[in-house]
Amino acid sequence: MRKALMAMLTLVAVLLVACGGNDENTIQFWTPLTGDDGAYMDQLVEDYNATEPEIEVKHIITSDMYTKMYTVLNSGNGIPDLSIIHADRVPSFVNQDLLKPMTEIMEAQPELNADNYIEEAWSAGEVDGTQFTIPLDIHGSAMYYNQDLLEKYGVEHWLDDNVVTFDEMLSLQGQLEEGDYVLNDALLSWVLLAQIQNLGGDIQENGEPAVNTDAMRESIEAVKELADAGLMTPYGEDGYLMFQSGNVLFSTDGTWSSTGHAQVEDLNFGVTNIYAFEPDTFHNRSSAHLFAMLTNEERSEEKEQGIADFLEFVRANSIEWAEAGQIVASQDVIESPDYENYMQSFFTSSQEQEESLHIYTYEHYPYVQEAMDNYVADLVHGEMDIDTGLEEMQKFVEDKVAEGSLDMENTELLDEDELEEELSEE
Amino acid sequence: MKEHGKFAPLFFVGPHIILFIVFILIPSIYGIYASFTNWNLIGSPEWVGLDNYKTILADTDSTFYSQFFNGMLNTLIFVGLSVPLMIIIPLMIAVALEHKEVKFTSLFQTLIYIPGLVSISAAALIWSLIFNKQLGVVNNMFGSEHVWAATQPYAWITIIVITVWAGIGGNMIIYRAGINGVSKDLYESAEIDGAGPIRKFWNVTLPSIKFPLIYTMVMTTAGAFNVFAQPLMMTDGGPRQSTTVLMMYIRDLAFSHGESIAGVASAMAVMLGLVLLVISAIQYYIMNKNATT
Repeated sequence: MRKALMAMLTLVAVLLVACGGNDENTIQFWTPLTGDDGAYMDQLVEDYNATEPEIEVKHIITSDMYTKMYTVLNSGNGIPDLSIIHADRVPSFVNQDLLKPMTEIMEAQPELNADNYIEEAWSAGEVDGTQFTIPLDIHGSAMYYNQDLLEKYGVEHWLDDNVVTFDEMLSLQGQLEEGDYVLNDALLSWVLLAQIQNLGGDIQENGEPAVNTDAMRESIEAVKELADAGLMTPYGEDGYLMFQSGNVLFSTDGTWSSTGHAQVEDLNFGVTNIYAFEPDTFHNRSSAHLFAMLTNEERSEEKEQGIADFLEFVRANSIEWAEAGQIVASQDVIESPDYENYMQSFFTSSQEQEESLHIYTYEHYPYVQEAMDNYVADLVHGEMDIDTGLEEMQKFVEDKVAEGSLDMENTELLDEDELEEELSEE
Repeated sequence: MKEHGKFAPLFFVGPHIILFIVFILIPSIYGIYASFTNWNLIGSPEWVGLDNYKTILADTDSTFYSQFFNGMLNTLIFVGLSVPLMIIIPLMIAVALEHKEVKFTSLFQTLIYIPGLVSISAAALIWSLIFNKQLGVVNNMFGSEHVWAATQPYAWITIIVITVWAGIGGNMIIYRAGINGVSKDLYESAEIDGAGPIRKFWNVTLPSIKFPLIYTMVMTTAGAFNVFAQPLMMTDGGPRQSTTVLMMYIRDLAFSHGESIAGVASAMAVMLGLVLLVISAIQYYIMNKNATT
């Protein structure tokens, strides 16, 4: 009987340990790419493995990736060899010492260098002169237009300079048929983040979060003017869907939406920049998918060589990734003639366009965006007073920064060793 | 044989005990510990004593204070609205299905039970289309002009509707089983004494199914306090965070954008657990007291 009990306990223990298995001969590659994106990445990985590399890549999609990363980093067990993280995570990951620099990877494959990638995507992975990531893509705000509606209202010329302005949109006030709108409020916080750049503002001041600023207020008030004029799809309604059903001239959503819009029958659409104040100053708030290596001392040199080979393969062959609607970061790909067939090639069609892509690299950017996501729709649609909203947003970010960043002043009661002891006792 | 007798019980409860310790006991203790620390899920937690509790309970300027009280208020609203419906509607259905002239009872029972088997996310997608202003049945067939998810009280109504739709089946099955266990003699003697259907319900059915009632009430309340998916999927906490329940704040703090604020999140979770504990205890006390008199 005792034996049976022991056997059972052993079995449970084995099962628990087996969950964290680490294979020497495969590169464990984690991504947060769910849906179609994941399928395109699967294809890329499959193509790479078909070249019979020494170490194969195993693509693992984890929808809750960052949470799982924290778990494995904490336990030190099952840390992935390679992963894709978003640009806005880089500063805080580097600050917490969670990323291994790409130095050796870049030495192993010399083509993995700044010249071969879109500048904004490359520099998103650079902190204090050290390169921590290799970019896969840039993705971000894009504004889709409904060609038929532009013709119906005779405003195709708005697109002549590739920038639709606030004034141009306001000129349609009172001239729309019932049920038609000039723009929707999809990804509104990203639109506002672009306006802040257009106004020369920022979301930080000397490292401190700056949300309650003149630039933020001016941006919100300008967009609110569009909403007040009845040009924006109403509060709480699905503006994305209304664009697809052909009632909205402009949809401010993401580069990846082109694949979704393309599936809608009879939707005659194209892509342009997010609207701006002036035609010569425009930005599109962007993010990037970046290859990164979490800190892990057990990663062998052979594996690093394998990672370098895989990243070089992706650099040369990621046209597949354009299918997902993303702006591929590799210059080789975006300069290839095939890439022009993809709608998002618009954003890399000129130097000026490339410079319009703006990635916020402020350490606490994620908190700022969270605050904006919580508040801006209410502010723009007049559901909440702008002054109050700005104050609450500023407070929201400051409180999160104060709690979220571990300041060592709080450790007076216990030092780290004591804490570890206490933990092991539990 | 003696050996056998000694270890057999252990063998039977062993698997459950192990799973309970690994997946419930240790995480709970660690969660309580984390609530006294400042922790970003990666580094070592820093002991901060009662700071987190002071912040969420007493620091009126703090975002976390307003999040905690707004989240708790919204959670209580949800509990207050949904729990009575989740008890009364299934009970009424269970009683109705007992009526002699109702046919196809198993069919009805199945139909009412099935929604509980559908994943809540899938169900929420369907219901949000039903309530969609352009495409939805509600607006097109009944001529409603509201943007349901963005106007109160409609936002709450959508959340309650999907909760009740998905949740009544489970309780109904329990009540039916309970009612089936009531001796027919009791009903017959009640009839002889001249009791009508309502009288029979109050004086025979209800007292006889007291324990299923206590059980469902406690379980439904506990489930309602942990509400998360319905408001997240249907309204995303809006309008103006009026349907953001405490679990949504807890999750956002611990596992969302940016660095994790697990300490404050744990403190909120512990407070939620305490409220739940007190309310369950009161429910047990009241019901048991009634059961013994």
